[in-house]
Amino acid sequence: MAEKVERLVNLTIALLEAPGALSLAELRRRTGYYTDGTPASTRRRFERDKDELRHLGVPIETVTLPHSEEVGYRIPRRSYELPDVELTAEEVAALALAVRLTGAEGTPLALAKLAARAPDPAQLELGADTRVELPPGPVDAVARAVLGRQRLAFTYRRADGSTAQRTVDPYGVVQRRSAWYLVGRDHDRDALRAFRLDRLASEPRPVGEPDAFEPPPDLDLAAAVSGPAQPGVEVTLAVTEEARWAVELRGGRDTGRRHEDGRAVLTLEELHPVRDRAWILGLAGAVEVLAPEQLRAEVAAGFAAVLAAHDGAATGTDGDTGAPDGDTPAPDGDTPAPDGDTGAPDGDTPAPDGDGGGSS
Amino acid sequence: MSAAQDVARMLTLVPWLLERPGASLAEAAAVFGVDEDTIRDDLGHLDFCGLPGLGGGALFEVTLVEDRVVLTMADELRRPVRPTAEEALRLVVSVDAVAEALGDELPALRSAVDRVRAALGIPERSADVLEPDGVAALPLLRRAVREGRRVELDYQGRGDERPATRHVDPWALHVVDGTWYLQGHDRSAQQRRVFRLDRVAAARLTDAAREVPPPADLPPPRYVPGPEDLAVTLELSPRGRWVEEAVTADEVVVHPDGSATLHLRTDAPTWVARLVLMAAGEAVVTAPEDLIATVVRLARAAV
Repeated sequence: MAEKVERLVNLTIALLEAPGALSLAELRRRTGYYTDGTPASTRRRFERDKDELRHLGVPIETVTLPHSEEVGYRIPRRSYELPDVELTAEEVAALALAVRLTGAEGTPLALAKLAARAPDPAQLELGADTRVELPPGPVDAVARAVLGRQRLAFTYRRADGSTAQRTVDPYGVVQRRSAWYLVGRDHDRDALRAFRLDRLASEPRPVGEPDAFEPPPDLDLAAAVSGPAQPGVEVTLAVTEEARWAVELRGGRDTGRRHEDGRAVLTLEELHPVRDRAWILGLAGAVEVLAPEQLRAEVAAGFAAVLAAHDGAATGTDGDTGAPDGDTPAPDGDTPAPDGDTGAPDGDTPAPDGDGGGSS
Repeated sequence: MSAAQDVARMLTLVPWLLERPGASLAEAAAVFGVDEDTIRDDLGHLDFCGLPGLGGGALFEVTLVEDRVVLTMADELRRPVRPTAEEALRLVVSVDAVAEALGDELPALRSAVDRVRAALGIPERSADVLEPDGVAALPLLRRAVREGRRVELDYQGRGDERPATRHVDPWALHVVDGTWYLQGHDRSAQQRRVFRLDRVAAARLTDAAREVPPPADLPPPRYVPGPEDLAVTLELSPRGRWVEEAVTADEVVVHPDGSATLHLRTDAPTWVARLVLMAAGEAVVTAPEDLIATVVRLARAAV
């Protein structure tokens, strides 16, 4: 292993320092490596080393050598080297703190590269103990295509388990609650779609050349994963005192008015049809939809569907299950997890026998 | 650690050391997120690296005195290799997440993010981390943790029908999966407790000092189902499969038509009942009977 580490570093240096591309024969002569074995086996060893270095971001280019049929290798210094990044000592400190707070794998090295030639970090104290958990691993699968603007093809599994082949211009990645999404233009549907990265059923495959598209100027990644809103449609709710805080947390504003039975009347600026229906159903009994009529009807149908499913004899439903029909307006046919309760670890007691010692 | 990871680090360690003659092993270890022995091993390798050639070539010179390092003759690697696309995107989303969580508390981070994006060629709007939920009480709680002051929370736990007042010695704030949590010592429960900020109806800062200090090691909150919890079975239609992600399931059995049977345990049955209501008929409780009754009661009361 010691030998391999040194061989990979020295191969990098030899190719960086050579005045032009080198053939394998010339590399053998200059470095003394790849000489121990048959020509075929040493060639294979070199190819493996080359692939490993490329994987680390070392740009080894393959060219045809002039005046011969032979393949040559080179590392152009300008593609290898990271230009100096102008960062102040405070900025380096802030970045180092951010990397430490997330503890995300691989990020310390990326920061070390950026800050290798920048000032050492300033002293920095963050008042409150704060940590941010955000495993960014899922973005790896699409990173190259997103940054290189290259089209991707993959198999996608919808929430209902069905799979389909998709071809997408990958515009960007978004983290929302516990999930990572890829947002892009879906060629088969000719529309903007959000795909959960944990539902890719195949390794995404680049299709065509880099720089193949330009995202639309009005792209809003956050809106793409939150599902469509209907701005201009105000939601009016009658809310019990107990539930007032929960509605305010979701953007509800007190109108100062009272419903006929004395409950407070709160409004939401815009309607998110899927999301709003879900959390209002979850607050059963504490919140009543006064307007719009469509949401009021969907919430009523939702309760009817719950009753029909749990106690068929309890109510007569007219067959409308209240499910949004056809093409769900949520990200790519996924019902977005309704607000407030998602995959996040829940609530109150971290461990049944929580002893304060952090044993959970 | 693989040889490739060692190589990736060493290609950056060289320019870092060239910029900092006399840097200590500890400083290098902290920057690269490894231990000092790893840096020592790296230096051992670098002693055999350089431009090969006749008569041994021109190798790097590594001098280690006590724990101070001087590296010379290594100008071939005077600048770091560019981060890969994966490293670049990971770094930017991680830093974005912290910037989103800390708000204006760390102004240098905002300007740093812009410079990093520009240096790495990360296009505008190619990565976004949405603001965690439950931020209303955040400024007050942050201040309480910083100043070590007790807080009063009107808190509605998962199993509660309405908020109740809790007296808490606050310890730390965590963002887990895009949601804010406060950890602290609950004075009435006399135990460590975790509070989801989007269940805090109101928070008040008191003048009392925090009495129970945070433990040295405070892991992020994780819900662990207990043996006393209620066992629940849910039938999910294909459209109701999102419910799986809202709970910690013991077992999920997926059927050929895309529907699923979900087994879970909970210490808060009413919370599960409300989750079932949210699914509007796409999730059905099949056991226990009591929970079915709760769902029906809540739905009846609402219509």
